[in-house]
Amino acid sequence: MRLTFLALLGSPVLAALLAALARPYRAWAGAAGAMLSLLSLAAALRLAGRVLAGATPTWGPGEMMRVDALSALLAVCVSFVAALAAWLGPGLGRDAHYGPGQARRFRIFSSLFAFTMLAAVTANNVAVMWVAIEATTITSALIIPLTVSKASVEASWKYILICSVGIALAFVGTVLGYFDYIHLAGESESALNWTSLMAAAPAMHPRVVELAFVFILIGYGTKAGLAPMHTWLPDAHAEAPAPLSAMMSGVLLAVALYAIIRWKAVVGAAVGSTLPDRLLLVLGLASLAIASLSLVGQRHYKRLLAYSSIEHTGLMCLGLGLGPLGAFAALLHLVNHAVAKSMMFFLSGRILDRYRTTELGGVSGLLRAMPVTGGLFAAGMLALVGLPPFGMFLSKFALVRAGFATGHPWLMAAVLALLLIAFVALLSQVHRMLYGALPDGVAVGEGNRWGLVPLGLCAVLLVAMGLGGFGLLQALLDRAVEVTAR
Amino acid sequence: MGSLFAQLAVMGSSLVLIFGLLLLWRRGSAAHIAAFTAQSVALAATVAVIARFTGSAELWVVAAMFLAVKGVVMPLLLKRMERRFGESRELDPYVNTATSLVIGGLLVLFAYIVTRPVVEVSQLPTRAGMPLAMGLIFVSLLVIISRKKALTQVIGFLMLENGIALLAALGTYGIPLIVEVGVFLDALMGFLVMQIVVYRIQQTFESLDIEQLNRLSQ
Repeated sequence: MRLTFLALLGSPVLAALLAALARPYRAWAGAAGAMLSLLSLAAALRLAGRVLAGATPTWGPGEMMRVDALSALLAVCVSFVAALAAWLGPGLGRDAHYGPGQARRFRIFSSLFAFTMLAAVTANNVAVMWVAIEATTITSALIIPLTVSKASVEASWKYILICSVGIALAFVGTVLGYFDYIHLAGESESALNWTSLMAAAPAMHPRVVELAFVFILIGYGTKAGLAPMHTWLPDAHAEAPAPLSAMMSGVLLAVALYAIIRWKAVVGAAVGSTLPDRLLLVLGLASLAIASLSLVGQRHYKRLLAYSSIEHTGLMCLGLGLGPLGAFAALLHLVNHAVAKSMMFFLSGRILDRYRTTELGGVSGLLRAMPVTGGLFAAGMLALVGLPPFGMFLSKFALVRAGFATGHPWLMAAVLALLLIAFVALLSQVHRMLYGALPDGVAVGEGNRWGLVPLGLCAVLLVAMGLGGFGLLQALLDRAVEVTAR
Repeated sequence: MGSLFAQLAVMGSSLVLIFGLLLLWRRGSAAHIAAFTAQSVALAATVAVIARFTGSAELWVVAAMFLAVKGVVMPLLLKRMERRFGESRELDPYVNTATSLVIGGLLVLFAYIVTRPVVEVSQLPTRAGMPLAMGLIFVSLLVIISRKKALTQVIGFLMLENGIALLAALGTYGIPLIVEVGVFLDALMGFLVMQIVVYRIQQTFESLDIEQLNRLSQ
């Protein structure tokens, strides 16, 4: 398994090194990075295969890295979106908007960003995971202002300050958890391992564990974009270059949620899941409400997508608070969201390239200008609002069923009402973008056709997940749910 | 040994907290940097005290790291930033000085309430300092929220990290060294990146007042 871990985590580091060493920057460094991203994805798939076969691969001194079903699921999502970013991002030649210096910066930091996320989801040690998640902020903050403007600098300042503070609070929670553990079992090398924490959890002090979880939830919740700590998110996602937005929205939020899921399992084993469930439901509903209402009357399409990310994170958070079926729905939603939202951000990058504006008012006649891009954008939007035949229909349906099954009919009524608001807001905005007269000076034709191939693949995946063609995924999800609720 | 150790630990923690509170009533950035420097030295000293009484070699290393990086390197970098931007003063914070101090006091009280279960569980002689460390964490959050200058916010964030480091040292005699080093590198990198962004703010906005940063409020 050593080679697989090395391929998973080493490839992005190597890609970053190549981009850093190629002076002056050449497109081959980007191409090599794109190939390496596929190697990383293959390694993640292989790990997932091993997990499905019943193994739990580990690596490093003191089992520092460990991949169970939940880790494998996240690793596949992260490496998939990272591969999309590597293939579609700047730095592969023929780029009108970014110079070689910008391309190099993007290549270096997006690869390191992918590495930190992969390390976070495969680390067995809670503190190593924390270090990795903190590092995701550092690596991504530097390329939000890839093109320096007042708005992008402001966005990166908000992002780095708010997220650093949030992550610091998560560390307070981690320290409190560690504190409780060593008072129980004494100091040891493996004290901060998930496996040790889970084993010791039933004997931990309930009040201390609860306190730790509050800090953890606020801390990682900030990074996951949960309301009311979400204020950095719309700015960062809207101002970042499209491939980075895709990575941040598609998987960074999921990685932060992953940390919460892990800790929730520990807390659940220590004090039962009543308190964590209640907190998750409150934060989830708040995020859903704020996001859905912000979607109404939104004037920028990238901000529209950003608020939709908050909405979906809120939904996942709700699912996590609704028992095993809810957890299943949340994880299925997570996978669908990773594919759908990254596709949408890449498409929004294409639209921005063509129309040169992020204002909704400036985009119309998209189907005429770029038929395939427009068609995929419409399909992605239908997927996001949860219509069949897309996968999110199934996950939302499962979520609502879980809500009724666990006795939260009023909560589910509120959720459905908010989903309806989001549905109307998103579809009416998209309708305005797709049809209507083409603004003056906007060329007709697709431009870079090859860039559409990976995005078409995303759409196919979304439909496949919606039509139930996901036997292996379901097996992986089932095992992951066992991890969350053990 | 127990009682002297306990007294020194509480004294050190109190000093660390008091230097944090200084941020609330002084307005000039020079005073803020001085307060942060003094706080870092007090933190390093407290960790050294714990290392001395527990005989932990790892904690000596941690204390030395704190002294070198937080007590010397970071203040130098902060002073360089200050020289480049000129003395920046919090002339008009979101919350005025008197109110800030009252809130700060309440936050320390709140920290005592929050940490009660933790202090009850702990058997360590250092446990009495933990509420003070938690108090510093809350006060730093207040600084970050209520002040307008990017430089003050950065210092508030660094103090937040000092508070967490103190909490870890008092409560657990330090997290494993390898983790501590990772956390430390992260903190340093984070600080450097913040510095880069602050320079960019200065370049693009020609001001360090984050009031200017309101283009994205919609």
